[in-house]
Amino acid sequence: MAAAYVEDILLVDRCLTGEPAATRELFRRHRGRVHACLFRVLGHNRDMDDLLQDAFLQVFQSLRGWRAEASLATWIDRVAVRVAYRYLSQRGRRVPTEALVDDEAAPARDEGPGASRQMARDGVARLYAVLDELSPAARLAFTLHEIDGRTIAETAELVGSSVTATKLRVWRARKRIEAAAAEDPILSQFLDPTALDREVAP
Amino acid sequence: MKLVGRIPVDPLDDERLTNIERRIVAGAADAAARGRPARESRMHVVLGFAIAAVAVLIAGVIGWRLRGPGEARVAAAEAPLHIRSDRERATVDLGDATIASDPASAFTVTRPDGGVLVALARGRVELEVQKRGDRAPLVVRAGDTDVIVVGTHFSVDYGDGRGDVDVRVTEGVVRVVHKQKETRLAAGQAWTTRRGLVAIAELERLAAVQAPGAGGEVEIDMGATVVEPARKPTPPPPNKPAGTGTGSGATAPESVARPGGNRTPPAPERPAAPAPADPNTDLKTQIRRQLVAPALDVGETAPAKAIGRYLDIVNDKKKLGEEASQAFYSIAVTQHLRLGDTQAALRTLDGYLRRFVGLEGSKQYQEALWLRVRVRCLAAVDDSCRQAAMAYVQKHPDGPRGVVADRITNSR
Repeated sequence: MAAAYVEDILLVDRCLTGEPAATRELFRRHRGRVHACLFRVLGHNRDMDDLLQDAFLQVFQSLRGWRAEASLATWIDRVAVRVAYRYLSQRGRRVPTEALVDDEAAPARDEGPGASRQMARDGVARLYAVLDELSPAARLAFTLHEIDGRTIAETAELVGSSVTATKLRVWRARKRIEAAAAEDPILSQFLDPTALDREVAP
Repeated sequence: MKLVGRIPVDPLDDERLTNIERRIVAGAADAAARGRPARESRMHVVLGFAIAAVAVLIAGVIGWRLRGPGEARVAAAEAPLHIRSDRERATVDLGDATIASDPASAFTVTRPDGGVLVALARGRVELEVQKRGDRAPLVVRAGDTDVIVVGTHFSVDYGDGRGDVDVRVTEGVVRVVHKQKETRLAAGQAWTTRRGLVAIAELERLAAVQAPGAGGEVEIDMGATVVEPARKPTPPPPNKPAGTGTGSGATAPESVARPGGNRTPPAPERPAAPAPADPNTDLKTQIRRQLVAPALDVGETAPAKAIGRYLDIVNDKKKLGEEASQAFYSIAVTQHLRLGDTQAALRTLDGYLRRFVGLEGSKQYQEALWLRVRVRCLAAVDDSCRQAAMAYVQKHPDGPRGVVADRITNSR
């Protein structure tokens, strides 16, 4: 852990001297995690090139401001979350993420692994369709905590809110999704309503 | 609602990642340097370039009209150049090398056989030389001593042009040829006529011991720098003695030409040493007097091994532990005092000051702040030195170090 920390410091120093190899190394070290985080927030790769580019350029632009108080990974994630927030805010809340599968028009599904994969895909699409209706802050809080697997405290730090506000956003988002699931059997089947996270219970 | 791990991430293909990486690498250096987003629309970039070009043009015209007797920066032409800086520093940009001279320095630059010959008549020059590849080397000739370089950062001090030569290498490697004997100098090493090969840190230590008492205020009298066209167009080749008498290769100037081309009456010859080689000698002496806290004793005499042990401690201990802080600091001390590697020491110190910002009030942190002042200001009393001094004096205004740091911030 400490070794990685020192490595980060030395790598940042190299980046600050404008060394292209260091820039490349930093990007390669963190791109996988940042991409996964952005993907889980957005649910697709459509504008991912621009988002990754924006995030990392902001990282390099602000690198002098990294005071090594937080780990470099956390600091980069914070930048990425800000980029995602801006993207969601500019895009508008009501633009659907993916075309929904029409229940009535959907062909009868076979049993088996292929069918369950299709069900899962449909479930994901419906979940993100509901998330599209949430505010950017609520969507970020929910996806970072419930999908990306971060703790409430981590999520609060990343989005720059208090723990209480973050808990409230996650709870409201969950209520909204549960309400949608009550009317949508595919979404309902996708979600597992029995495993409630005690951490965000109101 | 258990969703963690249930939503697979669609990977980006290699081509997309490569494209993103290429754009980021291209934009990162620019973004970091300018401190503003590098990704802008094409029109903004074009507009930006246009505005910048106009601004540079206007600044150039204004600068040319307002140019005074300040530091001169001239590009050396193929013809020989005689440079004499009486009361100020002069900088000559040769394109593939930059020569900065202290006040009271005189030297001639020629380009024999594709190489560069800097014949130092007196004073001190500091050079930053780009890698020369297959081209003929750059040679600094001070009396009967040749300093041959293929790409590095070093200085040559020839005092009043009659005495000892002092060569210090901060980056790269140079060869010193003196009386047909060749000595190879690496970064952190120095060579003097009297002592031969010696560590820079050792020279600095001796200078601190031998330095006279504290002087008065720092005052730099800015005089005129003259750039003189050569009277004799044929320069001496680097493999032959450059002159006779004092051993200088520079031609004594008889008339003065300013960059604008106006000729002025000949400048009166000055005594041999009208000013000290470095106007901040007194200030640097005071900096050296403020001893830095020693590195941790880890039982290793070799600097590289000691640094390895310090790194072990840094890696072993908790992130912000005091011992880790001491070990981290010790790396910088070793790089500065024992290896004479200024750049590495500064990088380490920057890392230290960022990492241990939580220990800002500690003695160790204060030592690191002072070490940064020492490293920067012994290299040059410039803006980065003054910033380091300002950072120190803001935290620790009292005590002898605070007084010295305060003087640095007020130095011109």
